[in-house]
Amino acid sequence: MSENKNDITRRHLLRDGLWGGCLAGLGGLAGFLVGKLKKTNTVWQIDPYTCIACGNCATYCVLEESAVKCVHAFAVCGYCKICFGFFGPEPVEINEGAENQLCPTGAITRTFVEEPYYEYTIDESLCNGCGKCVKGCNTFGNGALFLQVRHDRCLNCNECSIAAACPSGAFKRVPADEPYMLKEAGHS
Amino acid sequence: MNANRIFIGVLIGLAVVIAVVALVLLDTTGKKGSGLGKEYLYDVKDLAKIDPNLILYEESAQSLSTGFTDSHGIALDSQGSIYIAGDRAIRIFAQSGNLLDEIELTDAPRCLTVADDDKIYIGITNHVEVYGQQGKRLASWDSLGERAVLTSIAVSKSDVLVADAGNRIVLRYDITGRLINRIGAKDKERNIPGFVIPSPYFDLAVSRDGLLRVVNPGLRRIEAYTFDGDLEFWWGKFSSAVEGFCGCCNPVNFAILENESFVTCEKGLIRVKIYDPEGAFVCVVAGPEQLIEGGASRVSEFGAGSQTGGFDVAVDAQGRIFILDTINNVVRIFTKVKAGQ
Repeated sequence: MSENKNDITRRHLLRDGLWGGCLAGLGGLAGFLVGKLKKTNTVWQIDPYTCIACGNCATYCVLEESAVKCVHAFAVCGYCKICFGFFGPEPVEINEGAENQLCPTGAITRTFVEEPYYEYTIDESLCNGCGKCVKGCNTFGNGALFLQVRHDRCLNCNECSIAAACPSGAFKRVPADEPYMLKEAGHS
Repeated sequence: MNANRIFIGVLIGLAVVIAVVALVLLDTTGKKGSGLGKEYLYDVKDLAKIDPNLILYEESAQSLSTGFTDSHGIALDSQGSIYIAGDRAIRIFAQSGNLLDEIELTDAPRCLTVADDDKIYIGITNHVEVYGQQGKRLASWDSLGERAVLTSIAVSKSDVLVADAGNRIVLRYDITGRLINRIGAKDKERNIPGFVIPSPYFDLAVSRDGLLRVVNPGLRRIEAYTFDGDLEFWWGKFSSAVEGFCGCCNPVNFAILENESFVTCEKGLIRVKIYDPEGAFVCVVAGPEQLIEGGASRVSEFGAGSQTGGFDVAVDAQGRIFILDTINNVVRIFTKVKAGQ
């Protein structure tokens, strides 16, 4: 009985199996390294078009003072005299009195530009990322105020506790070299 | 020795119980909410409620589905046909809801009007196009530039008035498209404050008194101009209460009834209301409870803010009010059912 060239011998099986195992291992190692590299080069960020400003950012961050802050896209802002991100829904008067302001921590500053325009800026040392102003601005205004993870504070935890508690899935991993998801004028 | 062991055992037991309780109470999913106090609540539900005695209109027909995914403007012709601008087309409906015709466009229309001679004037981003009833394009006027956002258009005899929200100006053309003059630019000597337009809503109409009415949304008022650009008077005030215009910039759109009363649409707190020719509040056509599912306002649900979703309105000779719901892309028809006070 002559041996057929195509017959699989034990030696062939062992050799091919070893090769296959090596290749699979190499592939797995490469995938693992790429995955790890990708993971270390990404950071957490909030998609402002998905965020519903639920308030969880203020309390679920592992930091004592949340890494999430309100930011202001000036290009989107209407510079309104009666800004509903600054004023409550029923302001007693249109002035900077605390009783008229929406922000519970007084983190928004209102500055006169020219009649009838005002500029609004966020004092990050006072902002706790609750998103109340975001709701006011989205409801009545252009949505120029929105929440972002500030990377000078964020620890970039693997399992971000705010992301786990985010009801709208707005927390995303984004490339570390483009760490912010900013609103732009004309987007709708 | 035994006492110490018992003490340590009790301590360990307590620690285990505390750990178990903490684990059970720990909310890592956010389902229990933020835990922030009531000062952090943003609640406009009370403002959304309207005294039923103020609502003198009721929905009188089945809503008409436009079939658009992004509708912007509504107009009626003298026969009562309903014209809707949306996506990249104009759709013409009978009041029964049947689609009569469709005019396909090369770009998205933002506003339209139907003249007495049945020509259709359409604002398409930065220029005006004129169509005949058979859908044939009769003219395409010059672009007003990159910044232009045409949001309203009206025809009065030999004049065509166009609102450009991007450049914050009203343009007066003749019917051939020749620019005659600009109306509403800031001018201290003529006591014209200039238009304040934070979001792309800027509506106009010509009243029976021959004056042009233009919304100045950032000042929450409707201003009356001559066609030569003189500001005659204005009315409107800021208030979150039902009598005023709420938010940063309202009303977003309006229409003028046969008796020269005004029908206004607001965004934020979505309300459609009637004001008399002098601007005194008369009644409510529909409020958030009638217009928005669940009766709430649109608190924070849209990251684009209120740059979109402003309703448009048109009226017919019988005083019926046609509201274009730009969220659901349907037309809802309201008829007066109660007499006012």
